[in-house]
Amino acid sequence: MNLTPDSKVLIQGITQPLGSYYAARMKTYGTNIVAGVDVGKGGYQLPEIPVFDLVEQAYQHTGPVDVTIIFVEPYRALDAALEAIDAGIPQIIISTSGIPPLDVVRLLRKAEATKTLIVGPGSSGIIVPGKVLLGTQESEFYTPGSVGLIANAGILTYEVALALSQAGLGQSIGVNLGNEAIVGSSFRQWLEILATDESTQAIVLVDQSGGSSEEATAEFIANVIDKPVITYFAGNYTPVDKQVDNADSIIAAQLSGPVTKTSTVQHKVATFKQAKVPVAQSPSEIPQLVKKALKKS
Amino acid sequence: MDLLEYQAKTLFREIGIPVLPSQGINRPADLKSLHIPYPVVLKSQVPTGGRGRAGGIRFVENTIDAIAAARAIFNLPILGRYPQILLAESRYDAEQEFYLAVILDYGLGRPVLLGSVRGGIRIEVLIEHLQKVVVEQEFSPFYARRLAVQMGLQGNLIESVSGIVQKMYQLFLQKDLDLVEINPLGISATGEVMALDGKITINDNALGRHPELANLLSPIVNGNLEPQSPKTQLTDTEGNIGILCNSSCLAAMTLDLLYQEKGKPGSCLIVGEDGIDNWHSGSSGEQQLQMALKQLIEAKGIKVILVNILSSVVHREQVAEVITNYFLAQFGETPMLNVTNRREIPTGVASTSRQQAINPNTTANQKSASLKKRFHKTSLPQFVIRLIGRTNDSIQELLAGIPVYWMDNLDEAVTQAVSLAQSTVEKSRQQ
Repeated sequence: MNLTPDSKVLIQGITQPLGSYYAARMKTYGTNIVAGVDVGKGGYQLPEIPVFDLVEQAYQHTGPVDVTIIFVEPYRALDAALEAIDAGIPQIIISTSGIPPLDVVRLLRKAEATKTLIVGPGSSGIIVPGKVLLGTQESEFYTPGSVGLIANAGILTYEVALALSQAGLGQSIGVNLGNEAIVGSSFRQWLEILATDESTQAIVLVDQSGGSSEEATAEFIANVIDKPVITYFAGNYTPVDKQVDNADSIIAAQLSGPVTKTSTVQHKVATFKQAKVPVAQSPSEIPQLVKKALKKS
Repeated sequence: MDLLEYQAKTLFREIGIPVLPSQGINRPADLKSLHIPYPVVLKSQVPTGGRGRAGGIRFVENTIDAIAAARAIFNLPILGRYPQILLAESRYDAEQEFYLAVILDYGLGRPVLLGSVRGGIRIEVLIEHLQKVVVEQEFSPFYARRLAVQMGLQGNLIESVSGIVQKMYQLFLQKDLDLVEINPLGISATGEVMALDGKITINDNALGRHPELANLLSPIVNGNLEPQSPKTQLTDTEGNIGILCNSSCLAAMTLDLLYQEKGKPGSCLIVGEDGIDNWHSGSSGEQQLQMALKQLIEAKGIKVILVNILSSVVHREQVAEVITNYFLAQFGETPMLNVTNRREIPTGVASTSRQQAINPNTTANQKSASLKKRFHKTSLPQFVIRLIGRTNDSIQELLAGIPVYWMDNLDEAVTQAVSLAQSTVEKSRQQ
């Protein structure tokens, strides 16, 4: 992932209410939005952003783009993403949520084959503070710096960014993986990306719940990532619905009738602690742990 | 959302999965015009498992027996649910019973085929024999055959069972389902297969593009334009702190911090879950917030309300305004903003400070002091409001006018809420 203020950005669904609102905000932040796409809206002109009916038409005007952000309605999102992949756009951020999961499965199969990076669905996007804003993130909580922030939670991410900013620790990037049950890029993928990112010195991982590959991620951090990684998990005390997400346990739970739901967050915290990855107890503890880890390394 | 057995079987029949002749029974008298021959099985149609063990499934030989059994089943709650309809079905003599399922594995992000040659209600044995095939790429019948072979099937059964799995998968894809399950799949002495019981889970996000499924569901799901009520994340009747957040992740964090400080959350509501989106769509965010405040204030046992709303500057001002106005309205005060004729509005509260309430020259401080006095006489919960941007003048001014604790530091807000709750508990003990 190489994101600079020069990166060329396309917006699909740009005349949707959210699309046009956030396009204007991104533009103000300095993001280089080169074109927008919306079916039947070709020729429409937003302030300084030309609009086309098809991605390929936009391409003729702009040349290859680096990333597209999708704001179309849920049942059209798969199609929009496939259109972007077909045009050869290497990175797709899907802001839309509520996409039927089987559409997401189809999209991710395709993206794996074409090596397209998908962020989302249901993602508030990526911010490189002070440089570029891709999506719906609230930029005011971020400050430029060298802590990489990866999260699958929404507003909680701002809480963490704020805690870091207030402690004088700016951020090199803020990535929101999306809050849907099945999402494209994972914590692991982004850990890998940030491990080689020169502007990132430490990584903070913010996790809400769900996701069943925590053992793999904890081990991956311990064995592969040589930058300090601090984790924070919300929901220790709140058993949330649908935390059981793999087929075997769903079937087991269904067959044996109602089972008491336990918080998988507690299990997750234990897994990370066992792998000796620091786990913060509260957002305000995160900057302390980051500073401590940076001193050591 | 789970379909009932008879609804699932309707879909099975449509896609070509063999099911027994059956008839829906809305009241016991319907059995007089039964068009399937006895012996018959009567099955309670409730969306829960364990019907057989609970007595919701009965075998009957004639009309008199059937009517008596139907009466009993209609009056039998299963895990608290009474059936609206029974399913009368032919009896079937199965030599073996298999378990089959197609399910979306959210962890893997792939559909999974499951099968066990020991279907039925003995769960431990079923799971012990459970086989799994992950559908990694585009589905093709070989995935189903792979499952059949893994299950240990041989000869013709490979083809007939994998044929059923294939149709289940077709249904799964066609209707955007989360789960299609057949348990048991009856196998007769001659190797014939029959779906004896089934379960289908619909994906709520996909329901909008399947009107045929919406029609199948008894209470028809229609587009509701009313403002959504706040979502409840937690209810604990023992607790005394009410929480209001603008996302479930923020709520999860706030709850964690309260518990860590030995607070006792009693109710946790979430407004504007989709954050910004919701505030955009006109006033629905504000209405939700008002509803949530009302709900928390009226909730039993809530002594302190902690509001933790993290959003952009514009929305923060809206939030501060809604809370302030709501608060003032509790005392029959006129809202501080958006109202032109303050004098005209009756206070509705018989109070000595009535005059002050209608005096437009009262300063915010005096007003606040008077409100505080009156506030202590009421049984309203105490408010701790955590809003970022204390430096913002307009927010500061708004909140200074009402007797609440407000701060922008998260940890301080949590500590304040917990200590207020504890002191109220102690006070009530002393009295």
